[in-house]
Amino acid sequence: MANPKNAETVHSYSLIPREEILARLQDRALAIVNVMPADSFKAGHIPGSLSLPIADIPTKALQLLSNLQQEIAIYCAGPT
Amino acid sequence: MGKQAVGLLAEIGYTNLRYYVGGMAEWLGSGGAVEPATSAVVPLSNGTSPGAAAVAAPRLSWLEKVAALSLERLIAIWLAMIVVFGLLYWIAGVGMGMGLQAGNQAVKADGQGLVTAIYFSFVTALSIGYGDVVPLGWFRLAAIVEGAAGLLIFGCVISKLVSRRQEELTEEIHRTTFEDRLDRVRTNLHLVFSDLGSVQQLQVEQGVLPELVLRRLESTVRVFRGELQAVHDLLYRCRVMPDEETMASLLANLIICLQGLADIGGSLPSRSANLTAGFKSIANLANDICGECVPRTYAPELKDSMDQIQELARRIG
Repeated sequence: MANPKNAETVHSYSLIPREEILARLQDRALAIVNVMPADSFKAGHIPGSLSLPIADIPTKALQLLSNLQQEIAIYCAGPT
Repeated sequence: MGKQAVGLLAEIGYTNLRYYVGGMAEWLGSGGAVEPATSAVVPLSNGTSPGAAAVAAPRLSWLEKVAALSLERLIAIWLAMIVVFGLLYWIAGVGMGMGLQAGNQAVKADGQGLVTAIYFSFVTALSIGYGDVVPLGWFRLAAIVEGAAGLLIFGCVISKLVSRRQEELTEEIHRTTFEDRLDRVRTNLHLVFSDLGSVQQLQVEQGVLPELVLRRLESTVRVFRGELQAVHDLLYRCRVMPDEETMASLLANLIICLQGLADIGGSLPSRSANLTAGFKSIANLANDICGECVPRTYAPELKDSMDQIQELARRIG
């Protein structure tokens, strides 16, 4: 698999601030996704967010989020 | 890790990705609500799972509230109760036929009376009940209440003393088990490493690996997976954390084993189903060891080790 640290491809994504997530916690159009390991997710996650550990993304992402145009907010433990 | 995830999702074909940079750290820092409601990001207690969304803490019955008090508190309350009841009996000596009676005489509301009243209070609370001083009228009820309360509090005091000793013993057992576990992990990792070394040497000398060696490799992979799981648990689930040096050495051992596995895996012409499954499992576990996501904050060197482990996970999986 490609080593992300060397990859220079720029993927388009936009940022989402905390306030917007807070305002849209109940909005079904926004899928909030937690990419931390399952244990960390269980210990505490943003209400309503889904668990998709990064290791499972290749195999389970499409299962969990079938709509490729879905607006998805991704977060993990903190600034990487 | 979040950015990496965004990249992976974009590769799959998602077109409307938003990245929340602050993550859990910022969310918690600004006081955001969390599910499940009973925990922030704290280490999971050993062996138990936090369970579904929390309900309000169950209301404790008053009995449980008493039991929850500290030892010192309980004794203080006990003494206070004796004094208060004593005063009660004494003040009652104002009228005749109320309060206490010593022998044939009513206990009066004077200095001597006070001493007798307190004495009676102690004798009642300790469930001795000599009978040299007896309560009269409604104060018999008060004496019974005092007796019951005294017993209750004493029961709590004794059970707390006993459980203190129990707790010390349990801590002792946990610590010993923990050290044994660490030792076992270290030993097994050394075995795995030396096994992998032999396999690599064979590869260099003979090129193709005989069936027997491949079988052996499958077992080694299984053993390594077990120990990797153990270290993963140490990072995520331990109440007692190993010191940083021990952790550093464990991670270093993991890295050299993972490197060996990656090298061997890379130069194998084909992999049996068992081997593939084993490698996959190892890759998943190793990927989980993320410096950002573990409950405790570690020194930068340890975080670097964890990053290395994740890199190697990608090479293997």
